[in-house]
Amino acid sequence: MSEKYPVWMDVDTGTDDAFALLVLHQLDCAEIVGLSAVSGNTPLENSFRNTRSLKTLMKADYPVYRGASKPLFREPHYVPEVHGENGMGDVNLPLPEKEEPEKAAWDALCEAAVKYGGSLTLIATGPLTNIATAFLKYPKLPGLLKKILIMGGGTQEGNITPAAEFNMYADPDAAKIVFKAGAPIVLCPLDVTERVRLTQEELQEIKGYGNEAGPFLYEMLQKPLQYHLSIGNDGAELHDCFPVLYLACPELFDTEEAGVAVETKGGISLGKTVTDLYSDKQFDFRNALVALDVDREAFKKKLKELIRQMP
Amino acid sequence: MKRIPLILDGDPGHDDAIAWLLAEAGRRRGSFDIKAVTTVGGNVTLDKTTYNALRICTLLGLPAPVAKGAEHPLTADLMNAPSVHGESGLDGPALPEPGIELSELTAVELMVKVLKESEEPVTIVSTGPLTNTAALLLSHPELKSRIGRISLMGGGIGFGNWTPAAEFNILVDPEAADVVFRSGLPLIMAGLDVTERALLQPEDFSRIKELNNPVSGIVWQWLEFFYEFHRKLGYAGAPMHDPCAVMVLLHPELFTVRDYYVEIETGGEYCRGATIADKRRVTGREPNAKCIMDLDRDGFADRIIEAIGEFT
Repeated sequence: MSEKYPVWMDVDTGTDDAFALLVLHQLDCAEIVGLSAVSGNTPLENSFRNTRSLKTLMKADYPVYRGASKPLFREPHYVPEVHGENGMGDVNLPLPEKEEPEKAAWDALCEAAVKYGGSLTLIATGPLTNIATAFLKYPKLPGLLKKILIMGGGTQEGNITPAAEFNMYADPDAAKIVFKAGAPIVLCPLDVTERVRLTQEELQEIKGYGNEAGPFLYEMLQKPLQYHLSIGNDGAELHDCFPVLYLACPELFDTEEAGVAVETKGGISLGKTVTDLYSDKQFDFRNALVALDVDREAFKKKLKELIRQMP
Repeated sequence: MKRIPLILDGDPGHDDAIAWLLAEAGRRRGSFDIKAVTTVGGNVTLDKTTYNALRICTLLGLPAPVAKGAEHPLTADLMNAPSVHGESGLDGPALPEPGIELSELTAVELMVKVLKESEEPVTIVSTGPLTNTAALLLSHPELKSRIGRISLMGGGIGFGNWTPAAEFNILVDPEAADVVFRSGLPLIMAGLDVTERALLQPEDFSRIKELNNPVSGIVWQWLEFFYEFHRKLGYAGAPMHDPCAVMVLLHPELFTVRDYYVEIETGGEYCRGATIADKRRVTGREPNAKCIMDLDRDGFADRIIEAIGEFT
């Protein structure tokens, strides 16, 4: 691979964020230039620590920045039942010794976007609080990003409420700001992220890859696996891996241009990503490319191939 | 089999008219006892939907009192959809002038009378905004037990049509829909999920035209008119939204039905009027509606054509 995309990843690590970050690290086409942590699946202290600790496993030294410790206007809502008390399936990794930079996530993100002059890709796999804060502070930032790849939302239903997916529900106001900002967005909603799950048999296969990452992923994904089995699914979900693999293999995905709006004023519909994909009535804007399906077998094959190559 | 007593409440409208045709055909075959027809403003203004109701009942020979319903939604301002149904709300063929008198009762008064007099619980078929039914429930809670169920066309679990999130009938009066969905009464919801698949296609139109009875020619012209609007939106036929709410009573075997807990969004910037269904049971609430999600399209078309054939 000759050219590498400079990539910033904003995470609420989070078991699937951790998985997604390991996958991103493994991609030949991506060069990680910065990571930022946000409150979401788990409190900021956890997502920040978890993200730092993954560097030990990746044997890499990416700067990790602290972001928002709570949503823009609302109270946080964590999901330890899915991601464990520590946010990473209650699995621990040693922390790197080196201290992280003091700079706030939004300042560092904007600096990186300026530095890369329009070629920076942003992957956001948590609530969009950090990104919205960056856009509020630096109104030119949306125009400096090549693309934002977002895990979030669902075109027909939610998972945390009947209408809303967790990342959008956790900070709907931030999501609204980001979707209205004008940056090119690729959205990976539940429609596609729930198409692939890893069963216990597959996790065991991954455990046996003879590297450090295999057993780590196996251990970390036991908690989400148990959660998903308890609600009737056949395996652990990998939501945040989807925007990362979209970066490497967009050809595996079926996508459609759509208008996407985030409901912030509804009662039961709070945090719903309203799309006009299936409605006679269209929005008068098209602000996102929405992934609706994926070649499941090819996706799994690619994912396993990348895991096998991990340290 | 006992006849099911029905109240037909709607805002006709081409597809309301065909729904009522199905009901009248069902009456002729002994399935239904149509106790009342009530009107509501929706597709067009109340005066027009009421005039259309009288003309439709005259055309079909539907022997039930017709009463005029609510002038406006419970709390919201009125909105209409004339582009779909034309200026009159029932554009296309020339219809007979009303040969029956409008009842002196209001829609709610007539519903009350029917409920009080009926020995069997009454099924309300609602094919417009739910204003009349909600007004009935709010003003006469003691009669709730006389309502057997409400079979309604409205909403969409996955999507809307009048806004990206909301379907027209619910969007016109979300507060009324909220009253109905919280009522605890058995509900059958024919939402866009099924009604946009319930297409009569051009080859069906020809079969209808060939029936060559006093009603078939008019239905054929309604369908041509209705299809013309929808063809431009990319539909492969004319969606029979409202007839689904009647057909499910006659031929439940044609439909795929799911039990969901459904709530109506009455607030919201983009979602007002959305029917939000708890498909994953994350709220812990018990289902309150039988939501029709799919149908046997060909069987549905055959049954409609068969019903039109009753009007010899």
